[in-house]
Amino acid sequence: MSGPRETCDVAVIGGGPAGLAAALGARRAGAGKVLLLERDRTLGGILNQCVHDGFGLFLYKETISGPEYAERLTEDVLREPIRVATGTMVLDLSPDRVLRVNSREGYRLVEAGAVVLAMGCRERTREMIEIPGTRPAGIFTAGSAQNLVNLQNLRIGNEAVILGSGDIGLIMARRLVFEGVAVKGVFEILPWANGLERNIRQCLMDLRIPLELRSTVVEIRGRDRVESVVVAKVDESLAPVAGTESVIPCDTLLLSVGLIPENELAKKAGVVLSPLTGGAVVDETLMTSIPGIFSCGNVLHIHDVADWASFEGFAAGERAARFAAGERPAGPTIRVSAGPNVRYALPQLVTRGKPGVEWSFRVKRPVRDVAVEVKGLTSGKVYARRKFARLLPSELQKIKVRVAVEEDLEVGCP
Amino acid sequence: MSEHDAVDRLTCVLCPVGCELEVGTGPAGGVQVTGNQCDKGVPFAEEEVLRPKRNLATSVPIRGTASRMVSVRLSGPVPREMIFPILTEIAKLRPEAPVRRGQVLIADVLGTGVDVIATRTVLAKADS
Amino acid sequence: MRETATPTYDVVVIGGGVVGCAVLRELSRYDLRLLLLEKEADLAEGVSKGNSGVIHAGFNVPSGSLKAKTNVAGLALIYPLAVELGVPHRKTGNLVVALSDEDRPRLEELKAEGDRSGVPDLEIVDETAIRRLEPLARGRWALYSPHTGIISPYELTVALAECAWQNGAEVRLETPVEAVGSGDGLFRLATPKGTIAARRVVNSAGLFADEVARLAGIEDYRVFPYRGEYLIADKDCGLRLGLPVYPVSSRNDPGLGIHITPTLEGNIILGPSAEPVEDKRDAASTREVMARLKAEAGRLMPELGGVPFIHSYTGIRPKLVDPSGRDRFRDFVIEESGLRPGWINLVGIESPGLTAAPAIAKMVAAMIGGRLDMREKPGFIAGQPPRIRFAHAGDSERAERVSRDADWGEMVCRCEHVTRAEVVSALRNPFGVRTMDAVKRRTRCGMGRCQGGFCTPRIVEILQDEGVPADGITKRGGVSRLFYGRIKG
Repeated sequence: MSGPRETCDVAVIGGGPAGLAAALGARRAGAGKVLLLERDRTLGGILNQCVHDGFGLFLYKETISGPEYAERLTEDVLREPIRVATGTMVLDLSPDRVLRVNSREGYRLVEAGAVVLAMGCRERTREMIEIPGTRPAGIFTAGSAQNLVNLQNLRIGNEAVILGSGDIGLIMARRLVFEGVAVKGVFEILPWANGLERNIRQCLMDLRIPLELRSTVVEIRGRDRVESVVVAKVDESLAPVAGTESVIPCDTLLLSVGLIPENELAKKAGVVLSPLTGGAVVDETLMTSIPGIFSCGNVLHIHDVADWASFEGFAAGERAARFAAGERPAGPTIRVSAGPNVRYALPQLVTRGKPGVEWSFRVKRPVRDVAVEVKGLTSGKVYARRKFARLLPSELQKIKVRVAVEEDLEVGCP
Repeated sequence: MSEHDAVDRLTCVLCPVGCELEVGTGPAGGVQVTGNQCDKGVPFAEEEVLRPKRNLATSVPIRGTASRMVSVRLSGPVPREMIFPILTEIAKLRPEAPVRRGQVLIADVLGTGVDVIATRTVLAKADS
Repeated sequence: MRETATPTYDVVVIGGGVVGCAVLRELSRYDLRLLLLEKEADLAEGVSKGNSGVIHAGFNVPSGSLKAKTNVAGLALIYPLAVELGVPHRKTGNLVVALSDEDRPRLEELKAEGDRSGVPDLEIVDETAIRRLEPLARGRWALYSPHTGIISPYELTVALAECAWQNGAEVRLETPVEAVGSGDGLFRLATPKGTIAARRVVNSAGLFADEVARLAGIEDYRVFPYRGEYLIADKDCGLRLGLPVYPVSSRNDPGLGIHITPTLEGNIILGPSAEPVEDKRDAASTREVMARLKAEAGRLMPELGGVPFIHSYTGIRPKLVDPSGRDRFRDFVIEESGLRPGWINLVGIESPGLTAAPAIAKMVAAMIGGRLDMREKPGFIAGQPPRIRFAHAGDSERAERVSRDADWGEMVCRCEHVTRAEVVSALRNPFGVRTMDAVKRRTRCGMGRCQGGFCTPRIVEILQDEGVPADGITKRGGVSRLFYGRIKG
């Protein structure tokens, strides 16, 4: 393509809670030219449609709503000499950090000294979980419904069933009731609820919305608009149990059946992804397998609390700035794997001999009164042990090793 | 307040320990809390069972528009039974742009002592 | 002119599928007053949208049949037609694979049938050749047909209709024919939007062709709906399929067997099943068939085990074969009614109807030309250049487009890289189609892995910018509404 390419020290892709923080982190670590690219018209990402409160407890030490959190973090960004490009989508990313970028202002190529991936996640769909039946209007993912209801003032239905007990689904159950839509029930295929306990209590129990565990939607009916759904109990292998079906008349089905890190750009750049997180494999500096490309927030792994996505963003931004300034990884790495009842532990790679590394992890199923251990795979030595009164799959937890480690590790909950 | 909450189970959210509290009817109409590992659990459970308080959030259209929305919440929690009456009040709101984040849209809503406040800034011009 | 109350058309085509639209476009070469009536809110809403999108070579049908004749003739016509109309397509070739030596005789039969029908360049190939032609395919032997291809069936249908429209033909959507009268050499077609008079009628109503014929008093046909379910794999599943791969199907199979087909965009399609259903509109997917599709496809191509699927769809095929009867084959019906001269019935146009459509259109034009005085119009517009897709454009083309029109710089669909310019252009189509599915089929918005999760709210905004009220936004017209107005009015 003719014409000069734009250059920057750090390009941050995505202006949500992680990307905003990454831009600030890069700036505070001394990066000269920081470019923040956001595909939506406003900064803040999905926070803008999360009008409920419960954000900011860790970052701002008070509980505020998503839009407030977004605006406060945006104001911090706008106070810095950070180049903000909204309505701008990155279409391609090469391993040598050339970005193809499109916006109403023009289509252009950007060369970045370092890149921070902060694109967030997308929602699992009806098709991914293969619900049989018809294809009428009235099926929405919970996040799209949140956008249509909170930001576009649209009545998406009159009687809704919600499949999946993820937090967005629970929050939307309450939002729909607040706006006069009857919510007939929330159905969860697993034996436990997937959302935070606070949300189960305040969004469902307060409003007497039934939560049915071990059940799922087995068929969608209705030719033009949803007319009913068929729900059934599932067995241990999550397969529907014949004879337990019941028909629930409704005109709307909301799906809150999981989030997937949106790593299309990472794939284009050749970044190695983890099948356990759906995000990049990173080291303790949040750098991916491609030097100079960092990852943070929900594109790295799904967070339960936005504040932690921001903290990860600050760290990724700082490391990206240091990379752009010429700093390179300190040496060979050790591998860290997920042990018993741990779904994943992150980072998956750590610089050998590096002390003070902290891991984020999630458990596979709820447990009480357990100890989580970071154990050497060769020596069997326990480097860190932390007791938990309870651990839930919906919660992201942390464990830290203070000493330097020279062998591959496993984070487990034996 | 209500009979159906006579026995309740809830998880204390005051610290990461997350004690599973069991709340039963105590002597003289009070409550009896068990399962708490520290003293803070008792007042937490009492308030949650006897006088639960909640914040609420929704959004309303800017005056003269169909779908330019400003999100709102309460400046603090209110007794749970006030939620729907307050929602009815909020539904009547059609604030005029510009709206600032934190701007009070209804002061002391229904005498609860809390305000309905805007949670985002909406500029006067349409392309905010 | 002659009639006072109702407009009179030389030819009215009933049914906006690929066959009806091909007939309309063929007739639009001539100096005729033409109208197409479609009961749905968009073209290609029936049989034409729910199939494999394969340009068949013609060896699957008995030689001498109309199916074989129109297929082979259509094969020669459809590639140049697709180029003229700017419709995405690719000549890929295809393989029918036999997993064991026992099945080889069936391949020989297929080849012989094809040879008799004049299908060009069929060849039986061995294991080595199979792997060379398609590394993902398995088999001892295969029938290789180099002229088979793939095409977007709804884009072809829409392009045919738009071409006819450019040449003066009219198209009315959401206009079902509810009753038919005749007299004074005219058919009177009663619709909810008024009565239309026609000298000639072409009934290409697909699944409903029997019912439309019955409105005219023609009781000769019965269309049996057969449901075919499909699954679509994510483009990012790590597999690149170059050409359609079919199993050797038994002679008793009502379809061609569950096959594996690439799309032009790089997805892989599995399917279809073939089950008789009661309701012609019963396009539901079932748990049993979804599982069977995966099992069958896995047998044919083990690499497909465990790939992520992003979408399922179902097509209903209009068959004349009675599922409870003994017939295994029924031919296309392409005939003028003896009872109602001037009324042409196209019935049972199932596979290979997509490939055959241009040939059927020529047959119909000849039938009408035998009775009406048809003069070729000067200045017939044969088609249009291919639509530019942002996703497929190179860097300089993209930069140039955005600098000329900023709408090319606004990304609406993040999965398929569709811009606002493309969505707006799709919404400004000549027939006023404004449904979500119309946008999807014309632009690919919502066909990616998020299945519309992100772009639906954006398209909803653009529809309103283009003048569709929130209450009037539908998935596919009629009562398939997305919203019940505003929450706070």
